[in-house]
Amino acid sequence: MIRQVSIFIENHEGRLNNVLKILAENKINIRSLNIADATDFGIVRLILQETEKGIEVLKKNDIITTVTPVLAAEISDDPGGLSTLVDALTQAKINIVYAYSFLPKKTDNAIIIIRVDDEVQQKAIDTLEKVAEINLLDRETLLLK
Amino acid sequence: MYWNKSYECMPREKLQELQLERLKRMVNRIYHDVPFYRNKFQEKGLLPEDVKTLEDLQNLPFTTKVDLRDNYPYGLFTVPLEQIVRIHASSGTTGKPTVVGYTRNDISMWSELMARCLVAAGAGPHSVIQNAYGYGLFTGGLGVHYGAERLGASIIPISGGNTAKQIMIMQDFGSTVLTCTPSYAIYLAEVLAESGIDPASLKIRAGIFGAEPWSENIRKDIEKKLKIKAYDIYGLSEIMGPGVAIECECQDGLHVWEDHFIPEIIDPVTLKVLPYGEQGELVITTITKEGIPILRYRTRDITTIKPEPCACGRTHLRISRLQGRSDDMLIIRGVNVFPTQIESVLLEIGEVEPHYQLVVRRDGSLDTLEIKVELSEALFSDRISNLENLEKRIRDRIQSIIGVNAKVSLVEPKSLPRSEGKSQRVVDLREI
Repeated sequence: MIRQVSIFIENHEGRLNNVLKILAENKINIRSLNIADATDFGIVRLILQETEKGIEVLKKNDIITTVTPVLAAEISDDPGGLSTLVDALTQAKINIVYAYSFLPKKTDNAIIIIRVDDEVQQKAIDTLEKVAEINLLDRETLLLK
Repeated sequence: MYWNKSYECMPREKLQELQLERLKRMVNRIYHDVPFYRNKFQEKGLLPEDVKTLEDLQNLPFTTKVDLRDNYPYGLFTVPLEQIVRIHASSGTTGKPTVVGYTRNDISMWSELMARCLVAAGAGPHSVIQNAYGYGLFTGGLGVHYGAERLGASIIPISGGNTAKQIMIMQDFGSTVLTCTPSYAIYLAEVLAESGIDPASLKIRAGIFGAEPWSENIRKDIEKKLKIKAYDIYGLSEIMGPGVAIECECQDGLHVWEDHFIPEIIDPVTLKVLPYGEQGELVITTITKEGIPILRYRTRDITTIKPEPCACGRTHLRISRLQGRSDDMLIIRGVNVFPTQIESVLLEIGEVEPHYQLVVRRDGSLDTLEIKVELSEALFSDRISNLENLEKRIRDRIQSIIGVNAKVSLVEPKSLPRSEGKSQRVVDLREI
């Protein structure tokens, strides 16, 4: 299970920068970034090299953060790679709440971060572990990639 | 034109004699029938007999909206419920409304005063009055309705909203007088213009507008766009409802019906009575009401009393157009909104003391309310739909409790301005 840091920001200029600067000043590396936006606000989802320290400095700066468990799946970076992953979850009737790409530095494979509903998380893990083409990553392995 | 010339044009000396006689009787009744007032008199060491002149009113205790709330619902009524024929209510400072009861005589008095108002604004038995004030617990609709019936005019009880129908009825029924909030009048004018209907083709000649603050500029705008004369009316449910004061054809201040109400202007800080002409908070004493007589009610409305005789011939004092409020109550589309009401909704949902800000804007002709709420960690979710649901829950709760449609925006913690630790709760960007 991967610990993703989710952050609430208002949807106007400067707000994202504020978050990024705090992390930069504290030398916390961002391994992946995803932004979901509504009309007035957005949610920034980050995988950080140092999760605990990141949360601490963000909270100290009055930024609302929460930790969300997500899955990281390594798949081949070829046509059909992602389809295999989504297909497996669909067969198991597991809904994907959201998904985005993680940018690995040391592999040619693709890594997808997936958020499913909490109650089906274990089922998702079990499902994906059975698929040969998919390699589910734990936190340490992901951050080494 | 007058409805009741002998009272409306009564020489001031005679009017004051009448006021004193009625005030004494009223003070006597509340002292004996309402424990709340008796206690207040005793705290000040006063007896009903201490009221010997009209000036003595200045020594008597005030009544506030909080007093009405503390005695919710019927605590300040002076008669048993069997003598009450109608109950109205307006929104209070918390979830509980302010309740007022009317005896048969009260309804009759209200109808009489409202009839005077309609005549002052040029209406008569031949008028067709389209009453677009809301009917219900709010006093606006029924107040105008009973006055129009007393006058013998034809009243159309269409109530608020449904603009297309309002326009159809205006065209087909030949309405000559329109009664609604000023902001709705402007909205109607805009819809008429969009529909390509020339107001001159309608029979509407006058409008009686109140229940929210408006300005001389808005009057000019309404008069030009609807091709009518626009009159300001004042009232509040705690005192009676619409018809406490009205503009006459001179359109220069609103005559307060002094044979039933005594107006005073006080400094809202020192609570001292101010001389005529000075701006302060309007305080009203009802001297004839039976169901719930109110002594020196602090209206929180800021105005001045104009003592000069009016060219119309009425001798009753005028108050100037309302200048604002001495508390943080907002009037949005005719609905009273207190920041504390919003606060209790937020408290209920978030279970922590919320930081919020109310932003009122005038969007075209309609007032809009935005509620900015600082999000707390406990309510945060990393799913957009959960946060949108949270906004919706707050919006729905406010709609059902206060009756106002608000936009709810979640904002970051500590992003709202604070002064002395408390947020600046209200930003009113309306230019009226």
